[in-house]
Amino acid sequence: MTKPTIRDVPLAPPPGNLSTTLAWGVLFIVLAWSWKGADMRPLDLLKDSGNMGTFARDFFPPDFREWRIYLEEMIITVHIAVWGTALSIICAVPFGLMSAENLVPSWVYQPVRRMMDACRAINEMVFAMLFIVAVGLGPFAGVLALWIHTTGVLAKLFAEAVEAIDPRPVEGIRATGANALEEILYGVIPQVLPLWISYTLYRFESNVRSASVLGIVGAGGIGVILHEVIRGFEYAQTAAVLLIIIVSVTLIDLVSARIRQLVI
Amino acid sequence: MTTAIVVDHLNKTFPCCKALDDVSLSIDGGEMVALIGASGSGKSTLLRHLSGFIAADSGTVTVLGRQMQDKGRLAPNIRRLRAEIGFVFQQFNLVNRLSVMTNVLVGLLYRTSLVRSLLMRFSIHEKQQALEALAAVGIQQFAWQRAATLSGGQQQRAALARCIVQQARIVLADEPIASLDPESARNVMELLAQMNRERGCTVVVSLHQVEFAIKYCPRTIALHRGQVVYDGPSSALTPQLLGELYGSDVEELFDMLLDSPALKMPATAHSLQRVAV
Ligand SMILES: Nc1ncnc2c1ncn2[C@@H]1O[C@H](COP(=O)(O)OP(=O)(O)OP(=O)(O)O)[C@@H](O)[C@H]1O
Ligand SMILES: [Mg+2]
Repeated sequence: MTKPTIRDVPLAPPPGNLSTTLAWGVLFIVLAWSWKGADMRPLDLLKDSGNMGTFARDFFPPDFREWRIYLEEMIITVHIAVWGTALSIICAVPFGLMSAENLVPSWVYQPVRRMMDACRAINEMVFAMLFIVAVGLGPFAGVLALWIHTTGVLAKLFAEAVEAIDPRPVEGIRATGANALEEILYGVIPQVLPLWISYTLYRFESNVRSASVLGIVGAGGIGVILHEVIRGFEYAQTAAVLLIIIVSVTLIDLVSARIRQLVI
Repeated sequence: MTTAIVVDHLNKTFPCCKALDDVSLSIDGGEMVALIGASGSGKSTLLRHLSGFIAADSGTVTVLGRQMQDKGRLAPNIRRLRAEIGFVFQQFNLVNRLSVMTNVLVGLLYRTSLVRSLLMRFSIHEKQQALEALAAVGIQQFAWQRAATLSGGQQQRAALARCIVQQARIVLADEPIASLDPESARNVMELLAQMNRERGCTVVVSLHQVEFAIKYCPRTIALHRGQVVYDGPSSALTPQLLGELYGSDVEELFDMLLDSPALKMPATAHSLQRVAV
């Protein structure tokens, strides 16, 4: 047996094997299969392009006469996001710790994780419609909806951060005779805190976006106005509302990205 | 002298190998004992059994008259029992993002009320204790810095300060100087010896360097493949004896012999010994 020389090694990688071809095939089959169900009509987009143009022109210039009301409702939207996020942090900390497999036995983290999966699986809008029945129309239903859904999301993210910690400092704490709670507070939390804060801010940004549509089902905030002006064919006003949402959400994203950079 | 540590027929098998093979030993209060052995000989495993981080397959560990584990079961109050045993790690195991002060105050947690420790509130008196411990190891000026900003040697001294506030009567140190430069290594060994002399701590320290064992510890226990192959005065540890104890593995222990002025031997001794064994 001789060692292969450099000339025996081809300069191109070996041709793609069967599984890559198969993967592409499956992808195309899935796309084709979904075409009908999704009612794909790309030609209509071209055919109706004239109508689209007229429709788009109706949005300009944006009508800002009622801007005080829009701004007020936008601020309420932020308030909903603030409280929805705040309540979910309070719940996500214990539930997150209880779904980390390096902290608790599987008979604890399995059921807690399933519960969090359920909270996450259902969209905020669905929770909002349910809570409206329970607590009536208005922002409070929105807060409750964000609370449940965000708890599910944050608990999972928090648990993932806990599972990635360095176990050695925790052992250092354990060696002093500290109890399990002290071990978590002094050994685990300091390690995960920057990530937890970062995740929380990210969820807050995302909750502001979600809260701005919660009003469509009646759960308060700027979404209520958005729903009204679209239904009334007031496109100039719709444009104004959309602009206010875009500017506010962008501002909040920018500020929170800044804060996230600071804590990491 | 009372007996500080009694290990009775301790066995532990990992998937790879038998890490502890019928280990029995007894250490008196106030002793300073070195634990030597090649990499993988079971030093860390033995120390971790002593403070109940691992349960053995069989055998008993008794520390200060209290049973830490028996026949593979940890004592039900193992967390409290650990309070009297200070543990020093090779990688220091401090919480990087907490201040040095808080890292040292952790040594007090077992005596503070749960409410105060969960609120992270420490009294002036407790902080004074921590500061005194930091002064004893010579790093009081870093008290409010984050642990991560300290050098390795300083971090290891902070870990010793934590044992001091813990008022540990036994200090187990698992290769405390393996990650340190020679200067810091001597410093940490001096501090361990000082804790042994002045505070009456029983110290068991695992080492890779026989020279340090001879210099600081009157007694040495040598492990080889999980078995105690030598337990006696460190002064009797000649290259010949080590060659006998470790056979062909002695090569792994050679760096330390060549470094040690006390044990300097001709370069040929190496090959001669291997023939002899
Ligand atoms: N948690 C574990 N799981 C499986 N095997 C382990 C575990 N801990 C230790 N071992 C094995 O037990 C043996 C003894 O390891 P130990 O860490 O006690 O050696 P050591 O003497 O401390 O070595 P070193 O000088 O390298 O630190 C090794 O073969 C190791 O691979
Ligand atoms: Mg080790």
